Amino acid sequence: MDSKFFKKTDLWIIAAILAVTLMIFGIYNLTSSNKPAKAEIYYESKLLKTIPLDTGEDLVFSTPQNEKVVFHLYSDGSIKFESSDCPDKVCVHSGRISMVGQSAACLPNKFILKIVRENNSKTSEADIIT
Amino acid sequence: MLKRCIAFISAIALLINLTGCNTNNKKRYEAEFLSLFDTMTQIVAYADTKEEFTRFSQYFYDELNKYHKLYDIYNTYGDINNIKTINDSAGKEPVKVDKKIIDLLLLAKEMYIKTNGKINVAYGSVLQIWHDYREKGTDDPESAEVPPLIMLQEAAQFTDINKVIIDTEASTVFLEDAKMSLDVGSVGKGYATEQVCKMAEAEGYTDFLASVGGNIRAVGTKDENGTLWNVGVRDPDNEDDVLCNAHLSDASLVTSGNYERYYSVEGKNYHHIIDPNTLMPSEYFTAVTIICPDSGIADCLSTAIFNMPFDEGKAFIESTPNTEALWVFLDKQIVYSSGFINFLQPSI
Repeated sequence: MDSKFFKKTDLWIIAAILAVTLMIFGIYNLTSSNKPAKAEIYYESKLLKTIPLDTGEDLVFSTPQNEKVVFHLYSDGSIKFESSDCPDKVCVHSGRISMVGQSAACLPNKFILKIVRENNSKTSEADIIT
Repeated sequence: MLKRCIAFISAIALLINLTGCNTNNKKRYEAEFLSLFDTMTQIVAYADTKEEFTRFSQYFYDELNKYHKLYDIYNTYGDINNIKTINDSAGKEPVKVDKKIIDLLLLAKEMYIKTNGKINVAYGSVLQIWHDYREKGTDDPESAEVPPLIMLQEAAQFTDINKVIIDTEASTVFLEDAKMSLDVGSVGKGYATEQVCKMAEAEGYTDFLASVGGNIRAVGTKDENGTLWNVGVRDPDNEDDVLCNAHLSDASLVTSGNYERYYSVEGKNYHHIIDPNTLMPSEYFTAVTIICPDSGIADCLSTAIFNMPFDEGKAFIESTPNTEALWVFLDKQIVYSSGFINFLQPSI
């Protein structure tokens, strides 16, 4: 088996390196794509609040900027505009959002709710969801 | 042997580097505006620096804002003649307007003919009634009402698009009938998106994704490997899911749906896309998504196909080159046009 160019131990080392590499690569990919997303709430183009979506909490809240705009975080990791005093209610009709790329907005009250990646890594997630 | 080992390890290291870092260290940036076209505008791009992206988003905003002012039917901006000026002068006199309005109306007329009247920008009189009833009904759900059919029928007498007189030489628009008005809601955003994206491209912004209230236009690709932009189409019947992910480059995707802009009367929802045949909200589908190269045409078609019985719409789409559609029926059935599948693969 042993030749001038390859020794049996060489092959074992190569195989081991390959296995470890694949494992690391696999773990890296899994963790980066499964990393929970977070929600961001913007008011007048400024980031007001960042909300982790993986806490399992069920929470209804508003912000001091406008207490009539109410958000609802669900225990399944989705979030929505629960209610608003705006005339068209398009924000409320947008429903629950949970996927990276999704967003909802209350134009009259100048709020944006969007789901973003936990880090800046590129994944197979959508760039935008319409 | 040690040497060989090192060579091998570095080869693998290089490989990981290539696959893990294919955006060439460019960072993803996103920007949102809420002040244009009564909707949310989003832009996404990968850039080297924040300044580079800010310059781009400012450019995009400034150009789109010009269209926003010109296509507005409710507000006046200084001494600019816009669609509202044309409406206010209906039956009186031609209004001299920017070429951006002339070109929009020429496209709208062309699409009216192509779609057999399923999209009509001269429908202002009817749409205004629905708009007022919707706003009143959303504001005070207890007293929400459906507009009386007789009122809609009366208004529908003043929707003849042939009475929209466009003089391209003089750059004027004249509505021959005093009771008629333009509503460019079904084409304005999409057309503006298309034009601004083209201008941005000519300025050297070659790769970005723009969404003006769901009028999505993908320009170039995500990175130098040619990764396509990934656009999720929301499942209207299941908030937590997408129907599909379309992978786009130099193409537009627009959805018309009944699930965001609506109001309820005695438990029944009345949405904002009005069927010219019945003068009532169109009742064929929950949503229609169009993919084609031009965002202005995609915008027109999403409304027109939403207003067409399925067989008519399917025949229309299958006979139009480079144009695909996705229908979501009221019973949740989903149908794709024959070439839609080509957009579901994440490669060129």
